[in-house]
Amino acid sequence: MTVERIVNEMVAQPAPDTLTPGSWSLVADSSRSLVVEQGVRAELLVIDAEAAVSIDINVAQGAELRMVYVSQTQSANHIKLTVAEGGRCDVTQVMTHSSEVHFNTMLDGRFATFELNGVFVLTGDDRGGVTVDVHHNMPDCTSCTIVKGVASGSAHGRFSGVVYVAPDAQRTDSKQLSRNVTLGDARIETLPQLEIYADDVKCSHGATVGQMDAEAVMYMRQRGLSLVDAKRLQLEGFVSDVVMRSAIGRIAEPLQELISEKINRL
Amino acid sequence: MLKVENLHASVGDKDILKGINLTVKAGEVHAIMGPNGSGKSTLASVLAGNEKFTVTEGKVEFLGKDMLSLSIEERSRMGLFLGFQYPVEIPGVTMANFMKLAVNEQRKARGLEPLSAAEYLRMMREKSAVVELDSKLTSRAVNEGFSGGEKKKNEIFQMAMLDPKLAILDETDSGLDIDALRIVATGVTRLHTPENATVVITHYQRLLDYIVPDFVHVLYKGRIIYSGDKSLALKLEKEGYDWLINDYKEE
Repeated sequence: MTVERIVNEMVAQPAPDTLTPGSWSLVADSSRSLVVEQGVRAELLVIDAEAAVSIDINVAQGAELRMVYVSQTQSANHIKLTVAEGGRCDVTQVMTHSSEVHFNTMLDGRFATFELNGVFVLTGDDRGGVTVDVHHNMPDCTSCTIVKGVASGSAHGRFSGVVYVAPDAQRTDSKQLSRNVTLGDARIETLPQLEIYADDVKCSHGATVGQMDAEAVMYMRQRGLSLVDAKRLQLEGFVSDVVMRSAIGRIAEPLQELISEKINRL
Repeated sequence: MLKVENLHASVGDKDILKGINLTVKAGEVHAIMGPNGSGKSTLASVLAGNEKFTVTEGKVEFLGKDMLSLSIEERSRMGLFLGFQYPVEIPGVTMANFMKLAVNEQRKARGLEPLSAAEYLRMMREKSAVVELDSKLTSRAVNEGFSGGEKKKNEIFQMAMLDPKLAILDETDSGLDIDALRIVATGVTRLHTPENATVVITHYQRLLDYIVPDFVHVLYKGRIIYSGDKSLALKLEKEGYDWLINDYKEE
């Protein structure tokens, strides 16, 4: 396997109008290994196109990786992220199709930061799963994982995540949140887990699975919105912060369109 | 405009409204008062079309149409507005986006074209001034993190945007400080025209210092037991409901 090195600021390419596999940056059509070199700020859009892909990314000291990961095809992908001292990795994860994606993050240097905002929207008989494991291997690292799930029809969704804090990883600051809405007979399972071996840490985790807010739908209908529009707007609102915090700001719009289009099919 | 005849409604197997009669004409302001639990908010919800309640008997005509067969949104598009006692928070949905959809639905129902972005912005600016609503709030999520006063101002802002024929304001004055009460009540008064009508549900006479009612009704145990003019509200403020309720009990 060749290792691609990102040594300069990644050249800004025009944002794609639509997010089709292979449209931009990096097509995940094979296994790849990347290094974001020291002090470099890189942006990476990955749209999976193959059944099984594994990507191994090293974020060097003080480097910053901003990644958007879109699962649009039936695939099972594994992304390993290793972040060195003072490095930072921001991920936006979007899934609108039966798919499995697994982020495995190693915070291997002090003051490394990992943030993931994810969303999966599943309809019909989709089966989707998002796994986010974060290993705090060194002290003073920060991580924040928020994954939102929406499932309708007879779809099944799953979130699972482990935050592991090594014995010496003092002053770890970690957040993990899984929030989900199910419609109809759909099911979402959520398994947030903490594994802590240090004593001076700040770790929070939470999970919710609920229905649409009937009061909010009623409120919107009282203002003249149809039932369908009210539900659509509420779900778009529910996942909107993921898009708003898109790791790559200029593709927020196509991401929003991708999600809206899927929500319209719920 | 609105004609309610012998309206009965229940939630589960509990009867709440037990024969309401009420007629509201264009240009009128009605106040509905009454002790807690008498059915005031239920009446507002049933008129708006809240599906939680079941109408078991009676008739409601709105602008000459049988209203009870219409959905919540159909009633809204005909020009019925409900100011909520507890406005609902909708995370992630901005006021501006929400109102744009709502305004255009109302326009569609009236046979008008959707507003252009510029027209819509101008309208929002103009209407938010009616209730001195901070224009920043329109870019925030609907009611999320709004103070009690902002939520109620926001209800009247929406009323101004949607220009309803009939506005039912359910305890719009509850939870307001003196200044917010004045602003909200003045806003309602400014929106009042000879072509529309307002029904305010309230516990307190002080709201009616601003929104002067043509009629005051007292709701008790699911029925309107007494109606009068604005002096009734003053009398109730001074003497409470006992004299009325006692009369009613003896019946």
